[in-house]
Order: sequence, then C-alpha cells, then structure tokens
Amino acid sequence: MAPVQVSNLRKSFGALDVIQNVSIDITDGEFLILVGPSGCGKSTLLRMIAGLEDISDGRISIGNRIVNALSPKDRNIAMVFQNYALYPQMTVAQNMGFSLEISGVKKAEIQKKVAEAAEVLGLTSLLQRKPSQLSGGQRQRVAMGRAIVRDPDVFLFDEPLSNLDAKLRVQMRGEIKALHQRLGSTIIYVTHDQIEAMTMADRIVVLRGGRVEQIGTPLELYDRPANMFVAGFLGSPSMNFLKGTIEGQSMRLPGGERLALPAVPSGHAGEVVIGIRPQNVIVNAEGGTAAVVKVIEPTGAETYVLAEIGGIEITCVVNDRVDFEPGQQIPISIASPNLHFFDAASERRLTDDTVSRAKLA
Amino acid sequence: MLKSKAMQSPRTQALMLIGPAFAVYATFAIWPMIEVVILSFQHWNGLDPQREWVGLENYRYILTSDTVFWVALRNTITWTILAVIFPPTIGLLLALGLNEQLFGRVPMRAIYYLPVIIAPIAVATMWRWMYDPFFGLFNQVLTSLSLQAWIQDWLGDREIALYSMFVAYTWQYVGFSMVLFLAGLQGVDRSLVEAARIDGANRWQVFRHVTLPALRVTLAIVLVLSTISSLKAFDIVYGMTGGGPAQSTQMLALWAFMQSMQIFDFGRGSAISVILLLVTLTIVVPYLRWSQRDEGAAE
Repeated sequence: MAPVQVSNLRKSFGALDVIQNVSIDITDGEFLILVGPSGCGKSTLLRMIAGLEDISDGRISIGNRIVNALSPKDRNIAMVFQNYALYPQMTVAQNMGFSLEISGVKKAEIQKKVAEAAEVLGLTSLLQRKPSQLSGGQRQRVAMGRAIVRDPDVFLFDEPLSNLDAKLRVQMRGEIKALHQRLGSTIIYVTHDQIEAMTMADRIVVLRGGRVEQIGTPLELYDRPANMFVAGFLGSPSMNFLKGTIEGQSMRLPGGERLALPAVPSGHAGEVVIGIRPQNVIVNAEGGTAAVVKVIEPTGAETYVLAEIGGIEITCVVNDRVDFEPGQQIPISIASPNLHFFDAASERRLTDDTVSRAKLA
Repeated sequence: MLKSKAMQSPRTQALMLIGPAFAVYATFAIWPMIEVVILSFQHWNGLDPQREWVGLENYRYILTSDTVFWVALRNTITWTILAVIFPPTIGLLLALGLNEQLFGRVPMRAIYYLPVIIAPIAVATMWRWMYDPFFGLFNQVLTSLSLQAWIQDWLGDREIALYSMFVAYTWQYVGFSMVLFLAGLQGVDRSLVEAARIDGANRWQVFRHVTLPALRVTLAIVLVLSTISSLKAFDIVYGMTGGGPAQSTQMLALWAFMQSMQIFDFGRGSAISVILLLVTLTIVVPYLRWSQRDEGAAE
C-alpha cells in the first residue's frame, strides 16, 4: 500500500503529445479510476505508472519514491491486463506463484500464499488447471490472484472487464470492489465504461486528448461537471445540451421556441448551453414547450423518450409507463433545479454564484 | 457435354483439378520411389535389359563389405547433429536480435536470408574458392593478419574438411531458420512479455517462460526441416569436395548417387537410398508424433 503521485507528466511520440501535463495525487488505499474515450491516453498513463512506457517529462512517485528510472519489476506494482495475460503453459497455481518463484521465495511459502489468494477468489478447485481450461471470468480471477499474491504497493487494472459479457461484468465489478475493501490497497483502474467508473471509484479522473478534464468523486463529477465533455461523458443516457440565448427568465432556442427556466446565469450575455440530464426533463409538464415524440424506448423500469423541439433532440427518462405515439406532441419542461449552465464558447461550467436561482412565476 | 450432373458434382471437379498434378507426381515421384525399393533387391548396371534378383545381397554387401558406407553414415550423422544444433541456434539468436526495434532491421533480415535463395551448387563453388589453400580468401586474410600459423588446407585436410564444409552450409541455411523464428516471434503475446516483466522476470526469464513456450511449434518445424535437409545433404558436398579427400567427407546421399551414376551399380545405390530413407523416418516420425502429442496436451 502506498500513495502515488503523478506530477506534470508528459509523453510524446515525435510531435504527437499523448499525455500532456497530467498531475494526479493518489492517496494511500484509494480506488482511482481513469476514464475517457478511446485514444484519450488513459492506458498510456497507466502503462507509464507501470514502467512499460517511457516518460518524456515529469515525475511519478510510488510510496514517496521517485520511480521514473525504475524498471517495472522494481516498482512493486501488480497489473491486471485486459486479455488476462496468463502464461498458457503454466497451471493456475504456477501462474499465481510465478513472481514469487522467480524472486526466490521458498516453495512452501509460495504454496501458502497462492492457497490464500485462491481461497479469497474461489479458485481453490481450479489450481491445477491450465488457463485454456478456464472461462473468461475464471481467467480474470486468476489474473487478479497473480496480482494479490505479490502483495504489491499498487494494483493497476487495464480495462480488466471489457472482455467479459454484461452479466459477468456486473458480478466482477462487485468482486473487485469487495476485494479493494478487503485489501485496502491502492488501485489505479482504467476503463472506458462510465458505469464502471461511477460504481467502483473513490475518485474518477476524466481524460480527453491526453489532458485531465476533471478529478473528483463520482457524485461530484456527476453533480458538478467542470465542462460539457465531463457532463456528457458521465451518466446514462447522456446529458442533453441546449444552446440558446437567455432572455429574462427563459431561454430562446435558435428556432425561436422558448423554454422557461427556474434559474438564469447573471452577468452572462449572449449564448449559453444548458445541460439537463434526461432524468430531470419533465414530460407532460403544465405550461411546457411543445415537443414532437420521435422514438420511444421502454426498458421495463423506465422509458426513454426521444423528443424534438425546434430541430433539437432531447432525451427524457420517464419513470412511468407511457403510451406516446411517434409524431405526437407532448409538453416538455426543463424547469428543474438540476440545470447545468455552460459557456457556449469555452464549454466550461458557469460557476454557480453567477447563476441566480429564482422561483418561477 | 460437361453439363451432365455427374461432371458438375464437387467430387468430379475435385478429381479433375487434382488429376493432372497427381499423374505427374505419381510418374516422377511415387513410381521412382517404388522403383528404388525394387532395385535395391536387384543387380543392374543401368543398361542391361535383364535385372537380376539378388534378394538382400546388396544390403549384405553394403553393411559388411562397403567401408565407405560406414564412413558416409558416420559423416551423415555428425553432419545432422551439427545441422540441428548450429544453424537453428544462430538463426534463433539472429531472429531475436532482428525482432527488436533496431535501425536497419528490415534490410538486415533480407541480407541474412539472401544465401538461402542462392543455388547450393553456387554456394559450394564460391566457398571452394574462398577455401583455396593458395589463392583463397581465408588464407589470404590470415596471411595479411600475420596469422600464418592458422593457415589450413581447409578442404584438403581429412580432419577438418567436413567441418569447413559445414561452415558453408551453416552460412547458407541460417537465414532459413531465422525467417521461421521471426515469423514465430510475431505470435508472441506482447502483454505476456509485459506481465512477466511486471512479475519481476529478467530478460532470460522472459525468454524462458514466455518467448520459448510461444515458439514451441516453430521450434518443432525448424528442427524437423533441419534434420531432413541435413540428412539429404548432397549438392554442397558434390560441389565442394565430391566426398574427398579419401572419402573423408562422403555422405549417404552422395554415396548412393556415386554408386548408381558413377560406378553404375544401381542395386547398391538404391539400397543405400533405402537405408537413408529408413534413417530419416526413424528420426523424424517419432519426433513428429512426440511433438504432436505434446501439443495436444498443451491445449
């Protein structure tokens, strides 16, 4: 267990900067998730921490020891790979004990540690199998077992669940979180799946184009996204963005339609973008703006309604069952307390003290 | 005519496609092989309309009275052992080196492979010149380095002629192993190498526990092909020493050829060929069975 510090980290391939001035402080025992779309540099960042990629500039320290120049084996880290990376010719037990074996630990000691880890992960009956005789979920557990056996300072996970089917993924999500609570170790976890990030992380780092967009707890990021990218990336279905001009207590869309607002940003002339999560859109609201229903997607528990106001699509999540027909007009209101205001040019969040919240008439 | 149902069936079409090639193969490969086995029980000088059936006489003569046969057998075995050890080992080392991110690795791969595409007889001629005791490259270089003490009659000395020849053979065939190993190395899972590095493995341990297991199949192929090609070594011996001096570099394939085509004893020549075939099969068949069984167990 150890804290990890990433300071002003850069990585470039020729003229291409894949990691640009990234700084993250990870506290001891924290479960930190790096999330972002593909190509955002999250895996590269993880591999730099692992020592598998060179550092162009900046510093990484693990447990207050600068590790820039250390090879992976000297960093006391363990990594779980997306494709599990199990040694095919070795049994489960040999896979899990490999790192101890080559560092010269005694046989009995290795056996004891492997047995302990196998117990935790429910692998005891599989110890003599080869990886090819295991299911995807079992392989994933062996990969985790191999990491646990080493008792490393930091666990690194590189998209470990993306090769599993949806149901198994939910199950393994719970297992990894339980494992973290049990071991109390520092975990750095890479995923492109925002649900994994939201459900498992102590803190999330959202990356885009090699830059940190925002760092915070899952709910901080969900409730107060720093910019439109973070706002749109987290949450499902993703946030609606409406671009328009504030006029009095309402917003005028480019097509001329008006949407009444419960709050308006003050001192901000011109265009703004309003973000509203589909769950917060009020459907069938009294005095709402007319919207045309395009698509209805029932999921059982809730219904997704895709509607259109003046050419702008708005996704709404309705908790009741609805019997709308495509083409039907429904009144929609965004008069929710959970509105997000963004500057139309910079896409940054307008700070809350510039937003004056007023009761609607 | 070809529209009939029978002609259009996949079976008929397959036979039509395979047929011509099979006819050529049967005439020029299978039939001669059977002929060689029959000839090995006969006495024939190549011209006589009558072939005399002599039973096992040819084999008896070769195994008991033909001293050159035993020299050739011993040389062939020595040659094969060397050929299974050195060219594949050097080829593997070259492949490992040229698999790294190295400046100029693509042209280097081509250069090391180049000798493979040269006709063996040309390689033999070239190396015979270089080994020439008076004008050859090696002795000239040794002279210019004032290492006259090391000067040898490379192909004229019975003690070293076989090994001199083997160096030329290695030079020609290293590229062959290298290319197969390079292809095999592309199948090594990068994340396994990384996992091993994180697990604390040094370069040798990564090679031993990740690279080598991944090269198992390639290794089996390289060893079998090396064994086969070394057992039938012919052109290089024919071109460099012709089996001399004093039969000291004689080999089974060349001796079979000389018995038939120079001494005109086709019976004995065929018997030697059959023995060579049996030697090859006793080495290659068990090896193939073993490697296949092992492969099945690894799955």
